Amino acid sequence: MADFIKNVKGFFNKVGTAIKKFFWDVRRKINNVRRRISNFLDKHNLNFANKFPGWAKALIYLSPALIVLVIFTFYPIINSFALVVYQNYNMTNDTITGYTIFGNFLTVITDESFIVPASHTGSSAVINTLIIVFISVPISVLLALFIAAALNSIKPLKNFFQTIYFLPYVTNTIAIGLVFAYMFKTEGGLVNQFLSLFGMDTEGLSWVESGAVYWRSMFVLIFYSIWSSLAFKIMVFLTSIQGIDKQYYQAAAIDATPRNRIFSKITVPLISPMIFYILVTSVIGAFKIYNAIVALFGVTGQPAGVDYNLQSIVMYIYKFIDGSNAGNLSVAAAGSLILFAIILVLTLVQMQVSKKRVHY
Amino acid sequence: MEKNLFLKSNKIEKTTLFFDFLALALYIYVFFGLFSMLALPEIVDGRMRLDTLQFMLPVYKLLNITFDKYTMNTMITLDVLFMLVAMPMLVTNIKKLKTRTIYEIDSYTASAKFIQGIINLFSLNIVSAVLRIYNMFVLVKFVKGYNAKQFFKSIIPAIKAKFKQWTTKKEKIDESQLDEYSISIKKSIRRQTAVSAMRILFTYLFLIVMALIIIIPFYWMLITSLKDFSGSTSTNPAFFINISQMNWVNYKVVLTEMNFGLYIKNTVIVAIFSTAGTVVTTILAAYAFARIEFKGREVLFSILIMTMMIPGELYIITNFITVSKNGFGWVGMPTGENNYFLAMIIPFVTSISYIFFLRQNFKQIPESLYKAARVDGCSDFKYLMRVMVPIASPTIFTITILHIFSSWNAYIWPRIITGVGGLEGQQYWLISNALRDTAFVLDNGRVMYNLQIAASALVTVPLLIIFFMFRKYIMNGIGRSGTKG
Repeated sequence: MADFIKNVKGFFNKVGTAIKKFFWDVRRKINNVRRRISNFLDKHNLNFANKFPGWAKALIYLSPALIVLVIFTFYPIINSFALVVYQNYNMTNDTITGYTIFGNFLTVITDESFIVPASHTGSSAVINTLIIVFISVPISVLLALFIAAALNSIKPLKNFFQTIYFLPYVTNTIAIGLVFAYMFKTEGGLVNQFLSLFGMDTEGLSWVESGAVYWRSMFVLIFYSIWSSLAFKIMVFLTSIQGIDKQYYQAAAIDATPRNRIFSKITVPLISPMIFYILVTSVIGAFKIYNAIVALFGVTGQPAGVDYNLQSIVMYIYKFIDGSNAGNLSVAAAGSLILFAIILVLTLVQMQVSKKRVHY
Repeated sequence: MEKNLFLKSNKIEKTTLFFDFLALALYIYVFFGLFSMLALPEIVDGRMRLDTLQFMLPVYKLLNITFDKYTMNTMITLDVLFMLVAMPMLVTNIKKLKTRTIYEIDSYTASAKFIQGIINLFSLNIVSAVLRIYNMFVLVKFVKGYNAKQFFKSIIPAIKAKFKQWTTKKEKIDESQLDEYSISIKKSIRRQTAVSAMRILFTYLFLIVMALIIIIPFYWMLITSLKDFSGSTSTNPAFFINISQMNWVNYKVVLTEMNFGLYIKNTVIVAIFSTAGTVVTTILAAYAFARIEFKGREVLFSILIMTMMIPGELYIITNFITVSKNGFGWVGMPTGENNYFLAMIIPFVTSISYIFFLRQNFKQIPESLYKAARVDGCSDFKYLMRVMVPIASPTIFTITILHIFSSWNAYIWPRIITGVGGLEGQQYWLISNALRDTAFVLDNGRVMYNLQIAASALVTVPLLIIFFMFRKYIMNGIGRSGTKG
């Protein structure tokens, strides 16, 4: 038996060395050819590879990324400014009837259901979005800060909790949104079942279906957007809290500083740049909310059988390019430029404030 | 320290791992075998009669044994459980075996072997169980010097000693003999311990409540996806279900009748190609921005950074025009002339934020390395492939995984692209679109929530598996990318 195994091993070794030898031979021959070519080029002064200027070399490395970026990033920015001045742009024929400067912006601003609440639904995209931004962002940032601080203060099970809190980051927004809609079902939803444990009358208590009132649907939407955005914030806060110098805490411990004082006077000020960064990015993210609404309330943003609409600014824009019935893209471009202006202002504010206020 | 015992233990461990691997392969094989055996409802007029799904009582036959659907469900559930236990155990054991040194062996290693052996026994992997328990005896001999007989003899006294240690109280100091100062110190210490215990308690309570809020949707998703139709639509849904009631056939229906197999295939194609493209273009561009000196580098880079804050909605409008009839003509053409995959992949084969992230990483590699390589006649490309990429490989790996995630979750762009195509476009749906736009309804208009949630679980579970496999890379990557901004 042992002999047999030895023989088999020897056979495989032999095959392996033969293969290796073959590859080395091929490699040697290729190198030989390459050397000859380069000798020839050197001799006749044709070797451009060494004479390449920096920008040409850079262009070769940059070109794959730049070509795609030019077509799908830079050109759209320029083109959307062009689109905005077209009047009645028709996408299928690529024709316009004239030019206008503010016409499309005016169409957006005076459009029902953008700023002005629509008469038949009584809700507008901007107001919806502002409600989401001003409620979900502060709550989620505060909650993430508390969780990160609590996570930092414990030792056993820390990794376990960290992993659980990270889970929402790696999920599909649509898939979990469907689960949330199922959990908030009127009949046989988990939430209603849970509430009835506390003796609440949940008969016909609708959240996302027909019969739901505006604020209840809005609550579900905000709850879901907080739930799904918490993971990233906790992660970032935790990394920056762990980066704080331990000496501050040791000094505080010697002085027997109370815990809440340590939190408010050491932890929060020292990670204030990060808090501010997260605040601004999450405000921007909340302005762009779209997938969560689609998952919970369908593509129109209107739950079946209710008389209000939960569409956001982005949803309003996408209404014009929605698949088969593409509408006036100029109006969509105007809407997205308004969104861009909001985000630009927020980013500039962040830059100014982080330059002046946040210094540690 | 007897080295040969340690080596023997390692040898046993290697053999055990081989059998573990065999068992895992067997579990996977059995799972697919049983899954393919599951009976589907009959097809009438090209549509599956899904209303009969929960009332079917198919009889399965395997190796001359017949069994009903409940036994089948139990078998598949147990098999999945075995897989869930065996996979992480195998991976962690391989990692441990690679890094284990002779100094780390203690009695805990032996008890861990024992527990793993018991788990193996429960998952019907008897060979591994026996080997693990034998390995435990070897390790006991190595740590304590006991052989098997002595070990069994030593168990009862050890338990007695432990019990004694728990039951005997600490000696109480007579407080009347202490002076006032020590009493006050004692009191304050007691108060402090009480306060810190309360604080720890509340911290854990807070964390547990938040963790429950995070975890319950996942649990509810998995449970609902295995219920039958009446279980998922009942007014009083059960929070726990019996393992014989877990209808794995839901997943089969979703994969075949609801066409999710096709949508997953589409998504995997888009994810693989766009990720490969992103990695290549990002590495090249980041290298150019980090190492090659050329005029206007900083200007170009700051232009790129500035475009990062422009919302994606602005691009999508023009990109839609670009890929449709008046542009490249990838979509919006007559049926048969469209190329949906190109339209879904090409706009996403590069990413400014990843270029930025990777450039930061490349910049940290010392420039002297580059100069040394240049002196030795190393070309730029060779230097990039041989030095830069291996050093920055964790970051590149993070980028890869994040991009796979984002293309797995892409919703709006595929929706716009495939929405133009009507029925033909439906063949190119990605999973998010399919989840939203597939009608999971019976003929009488009632939504089959169990199938809908099963589809959601089918979309979520691969992500979770990838996440748990590469947890460290992903979590570190997110933390760092946030910190660097």
